[in-house]
Amino acid sequence: MLEGNVVAVQCTSSALYRPFALYLLFVHLLRHKETSVDLILQTAVNSMVASSFFALMAVGLVLIFGVMGIVNFAHGELYMVGAYSVWFLYSANGWPFWLAVIGAFVIVTLIGLLMERTLFRPMRGNPLGGLINSIGVLFILQVLAVQLGGVGLMKTVIPPFPGSTTILNGVSISDQRIAALIVAIGLLVAMWLFLTRTRLGWALRAVSQDSEAAALQGININRISMLAMGLGAGTAGLAGALISPMTRVEPYMGHGVIITAFIVTIVGGIGSLSGAVLVAVLYGFFYTFVTTYVSGTVAMMLGLLIMLFVLIVKPNGLIGVRASE
Amino acid sequence: MLLEIQDIQVHYNKVAALKGISLKVEEGDMITLIGSNGAGKSTTLRTISGLVHPSVGQIRFKGQRIDRLSPDKVLKLGIAHVPEGRRIFPGLTAIENLRLGAFIRKDKQAVERDLERVLDHFPRLRERAHQLASTMSGGEQQMLSIGRALMSKPKLLLLDEPSLGLAPVIVKHIKEIIGEVNREHGVAVVLVEQNAELALDLSRYGYVLETGSIAIEGEAKGLMGNEHVRRAYLGL
Repeated sequence: MLEGNVVAVQCTSSALYRPFALYLLFVHLLRHKETSVDLILQTAVNSMVASSFFALMAVGLVLIFGVMGIVNFAHGELYMVGAYSVWFLYSANGWPFWLAVIGAFVIVTLIGLLMERTLFRPMRGNPLGGLINSIGVLFILQVLAVQLGGVGLMKTVIPPFPGSTTILNGVSISDQRIAALIVAIGLLVAMWLFLTRTRLGWALRAVSQDSEAAALQGININRISMLAMGLGAGTAGLAGALISPMTRVEPYMGHGVIITAFIVTIVGGIGSLSGAVLVAVLYGFFYTFVTTYVSGTVAMMLGLLIMLFVLIVKPNGLIGVRASE
Repeated sequence: MLLEIQDIQVHYNKVAALKGISLKVEEGDMITLIGSNGAGKSTTLRTISGLVHPSVGQIRFKGQRIDRLSPDKVLKLGIAHVPEGRRIFPGLTAIENLRLGAFIRKDKQAVERDLERVLDHFPRLRERAHQLASTMSGGEQQMLSIGRALMSKPKLLLLDEPSLGLAPVIVKHIKEIIGEVNREHGVAVVLVEQNAELALDLSRYGYVLETGSIAIEGEAKGLMGNEHVRRAYLGL
């Protein structure tokens, strides 16, 4: 209830209420959580996990937007399908966890390639059409998840690594999170190396900077679109797969994820990979700390407020490049 | 005959941009298309490189029909296009831009040699090698765009408004570069220019485009003496 007050007061822009809101927030923090050093450290560790997953989702979204000019609204649902695939393969059918994760990657990548071929390619040069198509995919995947998995009972994926490791006195991290963190960071590094060190990576960046000039260098735009969509969808699927043992698997789990990914990509500057990663890290910390000390709802509302503020003050985002230059 | 265009027509949403254009380019030749804005000069180049396809007519390169091919296939046959406005990749370095020019080539060692040759040819690009292309000056970007096109080892170079928006000193330098590319590299050039004086001075043969058709054509020297060309395009 207090959270509601805080938000309501924050939303009224009257200067009179602003100190009061901060006071309420402060009281709230003190009353509900002991602000010990341990908790801060623990939250920082959790933030790193959140940051890496935000970055994975945002990078995929930026790749797809850059190459095809399409905002993929179904990105959160690709993440959801990744989580469902692990639930289906690992929990329901007893595959080894890592094999199920690979399976999830393959399934979601294939869905992404299919989306590119059948829905996005005919919409090239028509961003609105692509956007509407992606919203269609969002609903189709949600309904499929409900049809195949049922709604109501949330699916749980029993963590394959139930233990936890103590880093410092009082600060521990579950082995599940460690594994997810390592894989997520590994993936981000691999993608960075691919984009900056390989011919195909340059080609992909070239297409996102100027697709016609890229075509004039002999770069096949269709192939690069498939590559971007495969990479974008695949990483979203992997993110969902890796997170599945730490969350509830349900058909609408992509919803919060896509909002977060939008906040990160817009604040970072649409089309900017480095901006997306930087803001993902910052926002991961911000979101996790606010969630721990206040609540997840407030964290997301503040995130959206920050996004609106950035859109007003710096419409190209923090590291946004002007498209025409 | 290197390139032969026979009576092509191009339509954008049923509006005719080219109403029947024919032209010829010999091996190692240098021809120019001059004309005002919207005459169809850029469209002609875009049609040759496969960015747009003609609704009527044929384009032959070394005898082979290319008017239905995609840009990457046209490039592989040996036609490189330096688009209007330079269109370098702003977020990549100069070197990365040049290497992308050789994207279609598989002969890695020869690509490295050609990269050195282009950097020798454009010392300014060597100085800026690891700088983001967006931070380079207009003249440097134009050199980069031409260098990038040369990296594909073309037999025919399509140049769209290389002097556009550049200071007179730089224009002179770019003009020399185009001449050198044609003479020293033996690359045939189709030059599209609004700067008719520069274009006719460089070229052997010229075509004057007016609203999608060829109004006048002839030896460049002769066109410079043509009364209509002098009045309409040379401002004399």
